[in-house]
Amino acid sequence: MMRVYLFGFASDDFVGRVIVTPDERTVAQLAGQLVAWGLAPERDGSVTVRNEAGDILDPVATIAQAGLGNGDIFKVERR
Amino acid sequence: MVLRRDDWLDVARKVDWTPRYVEERELFPEEISGRPWLTQDAWRGWNEAYRTTYREYVANQREKDAAVLGVRAALSKPRLFDDLDPGWVQLVKFHNGAVALAEYAGAVAELRMARFGRDSAWRTMATLGALDEIRHTQIPLLIGHDLLAYDGNFDWTHKAFHTSEWVILAARHLFDDMFLAADAIDLAIQLNFVFETGFTNLQFMAMAAMADRAHHHLFEKTVASIQTDEARHAQIGHPVLRTLLENGSRERAQYLIDKMWWRCWRLFLALSGTAMEYLAPVSARTRSFKEFMTEWVTEQFMKNLAEFDLEKPWFWDLFAEELDYAHHSFQLGLYTYRTTLWFDVAMPDRAEREWLNQKYPRWEETYGALWDQLERRWEAGGEANTLSYGLPALCNLCQLPALFIRPGRNTACTLELDGRRYLFCSEPCRWIFEQEKSRFADHNSVVDRIVAGEAPGKLTDLHKWMGLEAPVETGRDLRRGLDPWRLDPVPTA
Repeated sequence: MMRVYLFGFASDDFVGRVIVTPDERTVAQLAGQLVAWGLAPERDGSVTVRNEAGDILDPVATIAQAGLGNGDIFKVERR
Repeated sequence: MVLRRDDWLDVARKVDWTPRYVEERELFPEEISGRPWLTQDAWRGWNEAYRTTYREYVANQREKDAAVLGVRAALSKPRLFDDLDPGWVQLVKFHNGAVALAEYAGAVAELRMARFGRDSAWRTMATLGALDEIRHTQIPLLIGHDLLAYDGNFDWTHKAFHTSEWVILAARHLFDDMFLAADAIDLAIQLNFVFETGFTNLQFMAMAAMADRAHHHLFEKTVASIQTDEARHAQIGHPVLRTLLENGSRERAQYLIDKMWWRCWRLFLALSGTAMEYLAPVSARTRSFKEFMTEWVTEQFMKNLAEFDLEKPWFWDLFAEELDYAHHSFQLGLYTYRTTLWFDVAMPDRAEREWLNQKYPRWEETYGALWDQLERRWEAGGEANTLSYGLPALCNLCQLPALFIRPGRNTACTLELDGRRYLFCSEPCRWIFEQEKSRFADHNSVVDRIVAGEAPGKLTDLHKWMGLEAPVETGRDLRRGLDPWRLDPVPTA
């Protein structure tokens, strides 16, 4: 297991946030961690997670499997 | 017979002699005099409109100082705060901390040109410029000192630039790049041509207009007086730029202008945009930040570019888009991270929200729900429920939080360099970094330092690291004050 720091941007938030997390957690868990730091963690709805290039990341893949490493950006679109 | 001014002035100003004991290149080394290195012949035509003599300078400055000190004496210390809006007081505290000692750094820059500028008229003007900048430091320090009796945080007028507070680190990063770590040519274009000609009208004249309406006549007199100095020594930039263009350095000149426009925009949206529209009382707002930027900064900048047949910066469309949003996003950042500031910040009230929506028709649609959410969170859980606890992602160029342009429109990007990944709030910040990698690559943002263990990750320790003594000095909600929990000892595990 390796801890990585990532920069997360949620579509309904106003600032990018630093997330430090083990890279064996899933992309869905990563999105949940970012949303928890935002202003509306309680809001329901589906999420889509993308990398900097705009590729959709598999929510069940681990962070490492999704290709995210130290200093990478991920974006969470909430609907 | 007494000589007329024009009969003797150039004899005094244009005293460029031919060195006999050293080469001209040794007297004015390229490393500090700047590129392109040209012989003195190329600079011989250097001139500016004011052509101030030292005698005139002393007489004028004496009058200006007497006017400022006259208002100070007339108001007398016990009345300095009378009738001032509480938000306005915070605006002055914010302004003083961010500006006073930056002006002192400006004196160092002017002195560099006073020695290494390539024409004697340039060096004369820069000498007067250095005296100006010392004045621009001393007056806010004097007034900040007067205000200490009413609000201890006015000591940040002097203290701010000696701390590692994050807003100040961002400002220092810019000023180091703009002038402290710049040669005479680069700083003339970056400081005098872009920053002073382009932007200081906003910080000083717009603020003076607002101060008048906020009934803060001492501040009005001070900033208006400072701007008259800025307008004079800003003239250094034009003839330096003209000389570069006449000597085949158009590309370099365009780069310096583009770079510094973007970097100044970043600082001013954070400093002036938020202060004008979230701290100044509505009754004092003559125009919106966007209107000031458009009429006082952008139009003037366009005229300057046209004068030299230069292009608009390549990122102009992004800049224009940001005018409607960026400082509003930044205010949310200031508010939710307010314990890391030396001044208080406000949640906009109903009247302010109406004003904002009138000036920015998409404001309510874009930001209303976020402020509503903060209101609800305060009601449900008090102050602690409205603060951000996670670390914000900071840009590795401007050092500001990556929160542009607005919710749902994110411009952040990265760059891999020598095994390190850098984060940028926008393409222009990444572009500037890429142009001068060796200049910027070794710098670590506050967040980089926390992640690397060089700065504390625990918020209370981070306050100390930033020079903020909690809870006395740390920023709070302007209208709601401090929750009792901020006064209790912080529980430890």
